[in-house]
Amino acid sequence: MPKVQLIDPRSVRKPGFIEFGKIPVNQYNKSIANEKEKFSNEDLTRIYRDMVIIREFETMLNQIKIANEYNGISYNHPGPAHLSIGQEAAAVGMAYNLTVDDFIFGSHRSHGEILAKGLSAIHQLDDKDLDSIMTNFFNGSTLKVVEKAHTGSIKELGIRFLLYGTLAEIFAKETGFNKGLGGSMHAFFTPFGVYPNNAIVGGSGDISVGAALYKKTNRKPGIVVANIGDASMGCGPVWEGICFAAMDQFNQLWDGDMNGGLPILFNFMNNQYGMGGQTCGETMGYEILARVGAGVNRDMMYSERVDGYNPLAVIDAFARKKKILEDKKGPVLLDTLTYRYSGHSPSDASSYRSKEEIDTWMQEDSISWFGNELVKAGIATAESLEDIKSSTAGLITETLKLAVNDEMSPRMNLISDPELIGKMMFSNGSADKMEDRSPDVLIPMEENPRVKTLRTKERFHLDKDGKTVSKVKLFQLRDGLFEAIIDRFYKDPTLVAYGEENRDWGGAFAVYRGLTEALPYHRLFNSPISEGAIVGTAIGYGMCGGRVIAEIMYCDFLGRSGDEVFNQLPKWQAMSGNMIKMPVVIRVSVGSKYGAQHSQDWSSLVTHIPGLKVVFPATPYDAKGLMNAALQGTDPVIFFESQRIYDVGEMFHEGGVPEGYYEIPLGEPDIKRDGNDITILTIGSTLYTALKAADTLHSDYGMSAEIIDARSLVPFNYEKVLASVKKTGRIVLASDANARGSFLNDMAQTISELGFDDLDAPSVVVGARNWIVPAHELEHYYFPQPEWIIDAIHEKIVPLKGHAVKHNFTMLEKMKRNRLGI
Amino acid sequence: MMNYDLGIIGGGPAGYVAAERAASGGLKVVLFDRKKLGGVCLNEGCIPSKTLLYSAKLYDNAKESAKYGINIPEVSFDFPKIMTRKNKVVTKLVAGIASTMKKLGIEVVTAHATIADRKADSIDIEAGSTIFSCKNILIATGSEALIPPIKGLDRNKIYTNSELLDIDHRPESITIIGGGVIGMEFASFFSSMDSKVTVIELLPEILSGLDSDLSAFLRTELTKKGVVFHLNSQVTEIKNNEVIFDNQGNTGSVISEVIFVGVGRKPIITGFGLEKSGVETERGGIKIDKNCRTNIPNIYAAGDVTGWLMLAHTASREGEVAVNHILGQKDQMRYNAIPSVVYTNPEISCAGITEQEAIKSGIKYKVKSLQMVYAGRFVAENEGKTGICKVIAGEKYGEVLGVHMAGNPSSEMIFGASMAIENQLRLNDLEQLIFPHPTVSEIFRETIFSFHG
Repeated sequence: MPKVQLIDPRSVRKPGFIEFGKIPVNQYNKSIANEKEKFSNEDLTRIYRDMVIIREFETMLNQIKIANEYNGISYNHPGPAHLSIGQEAAAVGMAYNLTVDDFIFGSHRSHGEILAKGLSAIHQLDDKDLDSIMTNFFNGSTLKVVEKAHTGSIKELGIRFLLYGTLAEIFAKETGFNKGLGGSMHAFFTPFGVYPNNAIVGGSGDISVGAALYKKTNRKPGIVVANIGDASMGCGPVWEGICFAAMDQFNQLWDGDMNGGLPILFNFMNNQYGMGGQTCGETMGYEILARVGAGVNRDMMYSERVDGYNPLAVIDAFARKKKILEDKKGPVLLDTLTYRYSGHSPSDASSYRSKEEIDTWMQEDSISWFGNELVKAGIATAESLEDIKSSTAGLITETLKLAVNDEMSPRMNLISDPELIGKMMFSNGSADKMEDRSPDVLIPMEENPRVKTLRTKERFHLDKDGKTVSKVKLFQLRDGLFEAIIDRFYKDPTLVAYGEENRDWGGAFAVYRGLTEALPYHRLFNSPISEGAIVGTAIGYGMCGGRVIAEIMYCDFLGRSGDEVFNQLPKWQAMSGNMIKMPVVIRVSVGSKYGAQHSQDWSSLVTHIPGLKVVFPATPYDAKGLMNAALQGTDPVIFFESQRIYDVGEMFHEGGVPEGYYEIPLGEPDIKRDGNDITILTIGSTLYTALKAADTLHSDYGMSAEIIDARSLVPFNYEKVLASVKKTGRIVLASDANARGSFLNDMAQTISELGFDDLDAPSVVVGARNWIVPAHELEHYYFPQPEWIIDAIHEKIVPLKGHAVKHNFTMLEKMKRNRLGI
Repeated sequence: MMNYDLGIIGGGPAGYVAAERAASGGLKVVLFDRKKLGGVCLNEGCIPSKTLLYSAKLYDNAKESAKYGINIPEVSFDFPKIMTRKNKVVTKLVAGIASTMKKLGIEVVTAHATIADRKADSIDIEAGSTIFSCKNILIATGSEALIPPIKGLDRNKIYTNSELLDIDHRPESITIIGGGVIGMEFASFFSSMDSKVTVIELLPEILSGLDSDLSAFLRTELTKKGVVFHLNSQVTEIKNNEVIFDNQGNTGSVISEVIFVGVGRKPIITGFGLEKSGVETERGGIKIDKNCRTNIPNIYAAGDVTGWLMLAHTASREGEVAVNHILGQKDQMRYNAIPSVVYTNPEISCAGITEQEAIKSGIKYKVKSLQMVYAGRFVAENEGKTGICKVIAGEKYGEVLGVHMAGNPSSEMIFGASMAIENQLRLNDLEQLIFPHPTVSEIFRETIFSFHG
């Protein structure tokens, strides 16, 4: 809602029509003879060779999958192999004009794209750079396997390296491009500009936009190509990615050299099937996919259908589209028409299409056709083409031989190093900034109005006379977050933040108030209401090397970014063999008062997903310290905040919240109040509920409670909790998450196991009811109240003399509720 | 409105005992009963039947006195006088309870009580148009005779325990439908009173759930007294005074003056607002946990209404456990050592598991059984009679798991077996225990030593 733009009713209410221009469909009509100026004979032969290499590579995999044998080499590959036999021209045409600086992202069916982009990169790189990439990659362990018997050029070695690295990765070998942790559907190799391929359909649809955002805001050369399938047009992340990429603000609000569109090309590798569903005629309604671009923006995304069975047509299209992107007119949509002869996977019997259809496409086969054209144009002979095929078969055979050899190509040794994968889940880095240059800011930090105001605030909840400080004068939890975030914006030039209402409004809960004055648009902006794209683009931004804070305004909206949070953000550090770091902080605000879809604490959901760090501070001191630590790290952190307590002051840390920089290490709980008789472990704002319960326990029952604030959920160091249980012999755990599946149960179980000898009673969990969250007026029946904690202690841990329970903690009711699923 | 710590619905052995314990523990208690205190046990169950059975036993002994060298020329009984004495005993004991309640400051409300409303920390009970606000309630509404759906059965013509205990004359003949504990006690009583008794039982043996050795023993003893048993027999119709039954395909019939139906009892869970309380029920009874608490934190249940084990002494104990939980005292209900007695002549007394249960549950056990004549005192006092003492113990450690006795006065000795089971005593421990000599209880000691072979 920028004030500079007036929405004038006199203008927007005017009648009229929307005019659409023409969208080109298969307009390329040149022959090799016409294109001789653009391509040398070597170029044209190389195009043919690259297609043949891809064809043979995929054919070999097909043989391995269906017959466990290729050219006399036996191997069993139980994992996936989604082949692209038939799609070679589209892949080679796509990669031909892309440089190492241009990034491609892909799908589950991207072997051909990896090879095409790799072959193009090898051709373009000078020998020294190529050698350096290969020598430095995983300390030369991949190169070592292929260079032993190699006698040819560095570029030929590069091709062996590319084929081997990809195949070893598919076979889950440690010498593969991602140490065997990515596999067929995820393999990639960033030094050649090949970014993650994605086993989730459309998964690259928003991640790639984040990579383009990274290139733009950090002034990096190159464009980004999202190679996604035609059926992924039906996936939310793709549509959200397109909407994010097409935002008006890039052209209308972003200043100076930042003005202009994102360098992103959505290249739909349109093989006309989404697994067994036919997109044109059955599962989609666009008839020609390129049509969709017309509705997205005034430029119709420069949308076009290109004949992906003619490599020259694809090369031509990419050359033109790349120019558009370099002219800052992105995003661009390309509908690259192609066809796969192979099934979705080798086990697919193609029952959903006719043999006649497959045969017809085979008759138009791009490799045969292009070979004939080369012969016709006098560039090649039948024999020279045959030589290319046979030498390629030899190369693939040698590559396969190396890849199946367990001595040369071992898998990760989880016997000698059982935690090898475990150690890869997090990078655990510490970096002030992700790149060394001066950050783009609008004013010096000390001139920032909010920074100035905060200097006058009381940083402890009591003044020097012990009186409670009024909210107006109080340094609040939201201020702690602000201090950490603005500090990082002035330290790390790559840091960007976005989400809904982040700019101007200052975030729905005023954490970002004051940042608009400090930062240009390209570092702080409002996104579409697209949680998938908010998180997805952050992932792409992070994996390219930028630090980012994405905001989910209500925890309840986390589901909208389900795939991004569950499948993408947590996985890429390990799936890349630790080539990628993910310095991404997702701020998630837990609501209240607004009912069933605005009040849920879903912290437990993300703790279940390996690869995410999860924190939930409850005090200003912890909020600032944990945000500083999250922003100093290189791992994805889901940073929960509670709307109940944005305005609390610091009640625990002596001296209040320090003005300077400090970090609170992730994973360390904190004792907020000492006690001897019972331990209460809380997550998030339930800390304050527990404090009230502890007061009553003390005054009415003479029981002293030790209160521990978990602060972090993943990682979590149990030492303090176990020491406390050793002292008290009793523990109750409480949070606002509904009890079933709550992370508290995981904690309770761990405490029971590790502290069994010290416990006088079971670890008891007090969570919210397994209901919808009712209206604010009924919330006290839903969320744990101080008396619930006391009731639970009385009922399950130790009877409190004269206590009458109000909340139902009976054994039979617990059985009944479980039986009924409530 | 009046406020109480505990409201008890039902003044039977669960309710009045709980009231006593609660009041002694300092709670303010209100006890509701729509009829007389004492419940089924005192008014139409245990106490009146035992009073009658004692008269019958005296009559039996008198008839057999010659065996002991005592000549009683003419033995007879006065049935109305027997009944009058029974009423006197009941009245005296009911009055005793009332006076105890008064002494302890328990408010007794004789009215139909219903659960009116659930408040945040209390429950409203309405009785006689007054609302009693109770922090906790104990439901002890007991049970009632189960009337099976038999063709031609007229509830006004057949007898259950309550009518039969008030019968004004001795029937010439009686047909007992159901060979359970109640049926067998009436069979014993009326056969002693020289009535013609016929028992019709659905299962292959009477007293299902008891150790089958004892059931068979009692059936033989009662047969000697003239009782006719039709086992494996399902009653198909009642036509006036005739009971028609199917015995594995053969139709039989019995004509008698009185027809008694004793096929079981069912918990009373309707008619007092239970459905409003949110209390969970299971198989017709109120579900309780080891603290005798329902799924509602301040609602407890004890006695027959739980449908668990319909014995007066179980009910009392459940009431005590509930009260202890309210008082915050550590206690919990255990069912493994509860004694049960069939007050026939001779008596059957049991505690713990039966051999059949041990087999069914896969418990590894060892067992010994001795005739009562191994106890000298039994021989001295039971001319020409016999009995059984059967002990079941864990195979490995010899802990006592079950004790089953037939013969008089086993009902007075069985508590010793309960004590052994409750305290997990082993056979070795019991061997060191000194029994008074000569007593019938020594049969227990003899049986324990018989494990040595």
